Amino acid sequence: MGRFKNNKKGRVNVKPIAMKKNNQANVDHVTGDKIPKSFVFSRTKLPASVKQLQMDLRKLMLPYTALSLKEKKRNTLRDFLNVSGPMGVTHFLMLKKTASALSLRVARTPQGPTLTFKIHQYSLASDIAQSQLRPRCPPDLFKNPPLIVLSGFGTQELHLKLATIMFQNIFPAIDINTVKLSTCQRLVLLNYNKDTKLIDFRHYSIRLQPVGVSRRLRKFVEKHEVPDLRNLQDVSDFVTKAGYGSESEGDEEAATVTLSSDLGRVNRGSTKSAVKLQEIGPRMTMQLVKVEEGLCSGGIIFDESENGDEKIAKKKQNEDGEEEEGEEGSEEEEEGEEGSEEEMDEDLE
Amino acid sequence: MSTGDATHTAVAERGTRKRRVGLKNGGKSKNKKQKTRPPSSDRFKLTQKKQKLFQKRARDYNSDDEEDESKKAPEVTIREKIFSDANMGPNYDEVEEEEDGSDKDENSDGEDHGEIQSGITRFAADDGCNAFKMAFKSIMKSKGDDALGPVLSAQKNLIAQKLAEEEAEKKAKGQARKAKYLVAEKGHVKPANHLESHEKVLIGVATKGVVKLFNAVNKAQHAQKGLNASRSKDAKVLKKRRKEAFFSELGKTPRSDSKAQKSSNANEEEAPAWAPLRDNYMLANPKLKDWDKKQETNEGDDFAAMSGDESYED
Repeated sequence: MGRFKNNKKGRVNVKPIAMKKNNQANVDHVTGDKIPKSFVFSRTKLPASVKQLQMDLRKLMLPYTALSLKEKKRNTLRDFLNVSGPMGVTHFLMLKKTASALSLRVARTPQGPTLTFKIHQYSLASDIAQSQLRPRCPPDLFKNPPLIVLSGFGTQELHLKLATIMFQNIFPAIDINTVKLSTCQRLVLLNYNKDTKLIDFRHYSIRLQPVGVSRRLRKFVEKHEVPDLRNLQDVSDFVTKAGYGSESEGDEEAATVTLSSDLGRVNRGSTKSAVKLQEIGPRMTMQLVKVEEGLCSGGIIFDESENGDEKIAKKKQNEDGEEEEGEEGSEEEEEGEEGSEEEMDEDLE
Repeated sequence: MSTGDATHTAVAERGTRKRRVGLKNGGKSKNKKQKTRPPSSDRFKLTQKKQKLFQKRARDYNSDDEEDESKKAPEVTIREKIFSDANMGPNYDEVEEEEDGSDKDENSDGEDHGEIQSGITRFAADDGCNAFKMAFKSIMKSKGDDALGPVLSAQKNLIAQKLAEEEAEKKAKGQARKAKYLVAEKGHVKPANHLESHEKVLIGVATKGVVKLFNAVNKAQHAQKGLNASRSKDAKVLKKRRKEAFFSELGKTPRSDSKAQKSSNANEEEAPAWAPLRDNYMLANPKLKDWDKKQETNEGDDFAAMSGDESYED
């Protein structure tokens, strides 16, 4: 009886309405890999704007996430773990707001490593939509999972490698032979800046525009707006008039793609189209501060603050010309963190 | 038995409730009226209490004792004046019965009607009698007084002090709330201008990645366009082409759905990570290389051209 009571107390009130078992497959038919699913939640109480950020992240991870996940205060990580097993959830994204910092933890269930990022700055999707002149959100934008682009991570440092692999695995893989380009509508970009050690996180929507067509014709065909023909003598003027080129046309040259098939009415196959990205969704600037072996537990593989403390401690001990020796010794102790060399050199200077 | 009665009453209520279903609208308005009723009932209560106090005061009233009365009287009149001036008619009766000034302070601070005056009035108010107010008013003949009414100097200072205190408290509260808000919003940045230079760079990077992917997809899918998948002869060619295209693309992009940019990626030109995907699978390893050399010695050259998997499907 005691056991039954315990179970009831610890039951998590999870109502993932977006995840219906009959709708979603666990295994991708084409690639044969398991489709990764995620939970985005927080264990602490969040202020209003961070709650919105959590909602934005959930939308980002659609369709393989629980959009309406409801958590109660008494739910612990254990509860989420128990639920994730039968549902096939592979990743947890946890937001945590303390007085000093806002942090995002990306973890692989059930025993996977945990990456802790400290978010220095963030902007909500609604802020970005407000700052744009023409925010764009087609209705089926979130029906397909996004592509992911990682840049600047390199393959040398262990913790960065781990981050790369983790992010690649969060989103389901695509098979280039069978993928339809119309399903690739979103893009997530993670750009690592070596100097500042900050990762820029951006979320874009992909749009294809036919190239080589004059602006007026293109707008006419796309939007069905009746053009103003008052000042023209002949329809041929409308069609052939050389309009001024927009300043972004130069960029389009680099972004041209030849489509293999028709994508909608406008972008016909085997003609050139330009890829245009428009930012939607949250924007974050974060820094990787900790990597743990277990799920928010276990051995610490990498710790940003640890690095700093060790540096400071060594410096205090060896004040005069022996600094370099002391720090080289500490470098040998740390495993595979070659980035630390650069940091220490910078500090010396 | 009591339970039996309870059930009986429950049944009775239910019965009555059933009847009243149609009369819901009437009931609602009644409820609304009911809501506004309590003040009047309180009013009723207070006036009764007040009457008792009036009587008490009347009994204790001693015109010789000027000090006490002068303090009390102006308080009374202040309250009345303020109420009459500020038109706080309905609140007039909600004043609490405490005679202690300190308690009133608490009240004035706690129940803020959004007007500073209300706090002062609560503080300054004492239970008075309407009759006395009228009498005093008629005596004074309502000369052009300031809003606070006839106020003694000590009272004035006290009131000023109270005002200042309340303002200070409000300021402190506001600042505390602001500080809390700032801590909560820490890190939240609203982009002032869309498309700053750094953003343009990032968009460029992302666009490059997408273009690469789309080109790879096009190449792979275009290659198999001309061939009909059902014909067995073409199927093999199809498969071969697909594989080659796939491997060549893999040489450039380690994973089909993510691209590490060339800026700092030395591994891009190297072979894919998974062993069977490399072009020289089973050829580099001397043990595996000649696995079928025993059976067919002639086809050793062919294996060098194609990958190891191909042979199985022949």
